[in-house]
Amino acid sequence: MVNLNEVSNAVIEGDEAATLELVKKALGEGIPARKVLDEGLIPGIHKVGDLFESGEYFLPELLVSGEAMSKAVELLEPVLSKSNVPSADKYLIGTVQGDVHDIGKNITIMMLKANGWEVTDLGVDISPKEFCSAVEKGDYDILGLSALLTMTMPAAAETIEALKGAGLRDKVKIMVGGAPTTQEWADKIGADGYAPDAPSAVKIAAALVGES
Amino acid sequence: MPKLTGLERILTTLKHQEPDRVPHFELLIDKKVRDAIMHDTNASYADFIDYMDIDAIMVFDKTMTWTYETVDAARNIKRDQWGGLVRFTTTDLGHPMGGAIKSEKDLDTYVPPDPDDSWRYDELGRLVKRFKGQRAIIAHCSDIFDIGKESFLGDVAYFKAMIKNPDLIDRVNEIITNYELRFFRNCFEVGADAVLVSGDWAMTKGPMVSHELTKRFIAPPFKKIVELCHSYGKPCLKHSDGNIWPIIDLFLGTGVDGLHPIDPMAGMDMADAKARIGDKVCLMGNVSCAFSLVTGTTEEVRQETKEVIRKAGKGGGLICMSSNSIHSGVKPENYVAMIDAIKEYGKYPLDWIKG
Repeated sequence: MVNLNEVSNAVIEGDEAATLELVKKALGEGIPARKVLDEGLIPGIHKVGDLFESGEYFLPELLVSGEAMSKAVELLEPVLSKSNVPSADKYLIGTVQGDVHDIGKNITIMMLKANGWEVTDLGVDISPKEFCSAVEKGDYDILGLSALLTMTMPAAAETIEALKGAGLRDKVKIMVGGAPTTQEWADKIGADGYAPDAPSAVKIAAALVGES
Repeated sequence: MPKLTGLERILTTLKHQEPDRVPHFELLIDKKVRDAIMHDTNASYADFIDYMDIDAIMVFDKTMTWTYETVDAARNIKRDQWGGLVRFTTTDLGHPMGGAIKSEKDLDTYVPPDPDDSWRYDELGRLVKRFKGQRAIIAHCSDIFDIGKESFLGDVAYFKAMIKNPDLIDRVNEIITNYELRFFRNCFEVGADAVLVSGDWAMTKGPMVSHELTKRFIAPPFKKIVELCHSYGKPCLKHSDGNIWPIIDLFLGTGVDGLHPIDPMAGMDMADAKARIGDKVCLMGNVSCAFSLVTGTTEEVRQETKEVIRKAGKGGGLICMSSNSIHSGVKPENYVAMIDAIKEYGKYPLDWIKG
């Protein structure tokens, strides 16, 4: 019988082959997909986030573990979608206008997906109007604005103002993040949450939708 | 002390001796800011350096020595000389959108750019003719980590390959290092006085990759550049944003002569840096271009500049600069205030500093 701690450890080690093999074996043994996810994969990726926050893991380890997790989630998805599981929270994310950096955003997406979020990625250099349009059309719990340059931080504030102007501000919780950003700045521009890095984005997002 | 030239001022402070005043230059100065200060949209970067009497001029690789091929004119996407896709938005520099190498096999047929192309040195030659002996002429390159991530593999693939496929990183590093060593050798032949290598090794929180991986992949190619510079009797300076304290031994181990920008956003403090490494390396920075230069008053900028000089100016070994660059968001009047403050408070022997 597969011990789900082994699944967690394989994710922590960033060992994609072992993660997939163990997940397949667990499913073959009749362990429910939801249990593999909740008791194997998610504790593993949470530990990876903790190791990153404590300075023991760095971007390469975070990415390799995140990839192992994502591949395993892909494997589980067809089984999960057939079972009666609650629908995932929805996260809309994009890099603000004038900014085409996306590594922070992409790592955040990977970590969110690994933690069970359904993520829509608008891409980079997204105008306030485009953000408004996406919020209006979709049914998202959280909008994440990524600003990787000091000079593009004002675009995040402009996006929030545009949402207010369009009467959409209260339709979503708004999170901001990116290398030059701070909690103080996030408070000032009226964001609901601030995350300095991807692992903390997952925690803040969960807190904002009341799942922490 | 007699008035020194900008070149003398910079070389003196790099030797940890006091010049006539604290020197100043910038990695990049956005054209919009330059034009606003000079009230002249036709003036060149070199004209601005003369106008503001700045001690050094940078020959920036991506804007002065690289080639680009347009891929999508409407979206302003170009392919850089290494094969990476970059998009130009509101800044002078393009932002990476995808690497040239999709798999290791692509490297077998990869043809790198030729550093011996004579046109690459045309601008350097013009600046040597105009400034030689008067201002430090600094040749610049982005480092192997920067080019490897942005132009070759894309950052996510690069980070993953550091763990999963180290041979690929070694091969990419070798291609870039060979180019850069030949590039800088040519720059010295044309007349460059110093070298500055950019490329962040850290983020606000700390290094991007572990000490072990920084030591394995990132520091050795840079050390080769430092050694080349020293073989020509020229200083080598390094820029890296972020909190570099956990890997400071790796920077110092290369023999680098100056470190920029002692990033205040990452909690790095000039006084702390002066006490810990000020006798080993020249400190370059760190007036905030995230806050004071962008949103502060001219008086706040003046006081912050004075504070940088107070913390690290004594005994030389300080080049007062912004905490990254004079980007398009910097208020022109604030940059002028910073330069004025350096000229006012930076005159040696800095008697106004107590203790």
